[in-house]
Amino acid sequence: MKSIVLSSVVAALLVFSGCSTKEPAVDTKTEEVTAPVAQEVQEVMTETVTGENAQISSSTNNIGSNELNANAIESKFPTVYFDFDKYNIRPDMQEKVDTAAELGKTTAKSFNIKLEGNCDEWGSDEYNFALGLRRANSVKKALVADGVDASRISMVSYGESNPVCTEHTRECWAKNRRVNFKLLP
Amino acid sequence: MKIFFSLFILISLAFAGDATIEVVKKADSLPSLAVEDASVSYDNTFKLRFFKALVADLNVISLFNVDRHHRFADFDDTNVLVANKDMNYVLRYKLSEDDNKALNIEMTLFHQNEVVFSKRYRVNNKNIYMFISHAIAYDINEFMGEPSVGWMKRKVIFSRIVAPKKSEIIIADYTLSYQHVIISGGLNIFPKWANKAQTAFYYTSLDSFEPTLKYVDIKTAKVKNIISSDGMMVCSDVSEDGKKLLLTMARTGQPDIYLYNTETKKYKRITTYSGIDVNGQFMGDDKIIFISSRLGYPNVFSKRLDNGLVEQLVYYGKANSSCSAQGHYVVYEARESSNAFSANTFNLHLISTETDFIRRLTATGVNEFPRFSKDGDAIIFIKNYKSQSAIGIIRLMHNKNYLFPLKSGKIQSMDW
Repeated sequence: MKSIVLSSVVAALLVFSGCSTKEPAVDTKTEEVTAPVAQEVQEVMTETVTGENAQISSSTNNIGSNELNANAIESKFPTVYFDFDKYNIRPDMQEKVDTAAELGKTTAKSFNIKLEGNCDEWGSDEYNFALGLRRANSVKKALVADGVDASRISMVSYGESNPVCTEHTRECWAKNRRVNFKLLP
Repeated sequence: MKIFFSLFILISLAFAGDATIEVVKKADSLPSLAVEDASVSYDNTFKLRFFKALVADLNVISLFNVDRHHRFADFDDTNVLVANKDMNYVLRYKLSEDDNKALNIEMTLFHQNEVVFSKRYRVNNKNIYMFISHAIAYDINEFMGEPSVGWMKRKVIFSRIVAPKKSEIIIADYTLSYQHVIISGGLNIFPKWANKAQTAFYYTSLDSFEPTLKYVDIKTAKVKNIISSDGMMVCSDVSEDGKKLLLTMARTGQPDIYLYNTETKKYKRITTYSGIDVNGQFMGDDKIIFISSRLGYPNVFSKRLDNGLVEQLVYYGKANSSCSAQGHYVVYEARESSNAFSANTFNLHLISTETDFIRRLTATGVNEFPRFSKDGDAIIFIKNYKSQSAIGIIRLMHNKNYLFPLKSGKIQSMDW
């Protein structure tokens, strides 16, 4: 996904001229305020892979079926849930982590694993992101303890920015305090 | 009794000017100010919108008891309206549209029926009228000889979540009534002004392979990659001169604070605790404050950069998960209830490293993202209360909070 810097603006939105005194003098200068110019600017750099480079000579797998494969395997991975303001793995979640580790060592062994940490809406900006990350890290440690190679695992925290449920209920908050597994080629 | 009294006076004097002590200025003792609309263009909706914005700004400067009646006058009338004859001050303005569709504003301030100050403004698009409203309030404040409210003219940058894993970065005026989307598409968060002049900013992109800190020059709209880290990347603070950054990175799955030099492009790890350390803020040249979970819950700590000495700064609040520093003041967000099952209350508190006082700055709801103005005169924050959101301005020395309704979705992070 690429992001676009929409326009450059606002700099020097207000340039102040004209001075004021307590004398009852009337300042006749007019202060110019320029409007933001919505000018289109360059897109964020992206990489284009030429047609011939994109082709991988392989008789067994082409990219399409590999992706399909990844999605199919990914859907077998469980979601690990956490308690309010906590990042330790609950006893009832240990089984799920073991399942994930087993998948990681067998069916998904040709993929790298990305752990996505998420939080509920309680908590503020940075700390919530760190909490999401520690949740991902707890799962990583558990996977490594179960024999998954640490170099295959990367992590990201989405804090509260990736909710699966947006109602303001306890059930909903509990669903959002989670770590998801994603497979990367 | 005499000794007690003189002691009281002495203490009062010693702490005068300390913002952690509540200052109670009686509203009655402020001079009254009425606003007269002498506009010759635009429809009544726009006239009313401008009037409301101006009254709000004049309230925020905290110098007047502002009359809220929208009264119409003739700009050239030498006398104020009869209804306003007992007012200490009367501000009269005229909105007029010129041939280029630009909005022109003439403003006159009366004191005891004499013109004491006047000025003209012009903006070529009437939709950014709020900047003129802020400018008038700023100029009136200057005219009254009060400490500058330069922060009124500063811009706010914030990110808001528009859908799961989708966000926008927006530049706004301090009331967020003018909003300009500058980055859209993807998940881009934690925007932070890169310099005092607000000509560039940093933000975190979560769309790359690793979370990446980017730098945008607003004038040229050029985007540069600064640094990446697995797991987490946030620019928490930028030094006064813009040369040093406090970053939260998690290079080994461990959220810690790093000091990054924008000239040498080298970084140094500042915290090493095995839990969570985030939200670093510069406090002078040799100290930072930050949020750490080292007591088992988030709280505010300071760390000296020379000898590494760590000190707990706050002894109140169940979970203090966000902070902002300015001079020797720290404003932090404290969760005052601990409940996984219902709405929690988050209030803002102010402390000073030079006194032991704690001042609670908000009373209800969820109050987030406190950010000091550059001069420390005001704090901006977001208030969520009864399913309504507002942007708040706290005038520390006037003991007043002003709220502006907000219709912008879920704010993720904000900088001023």
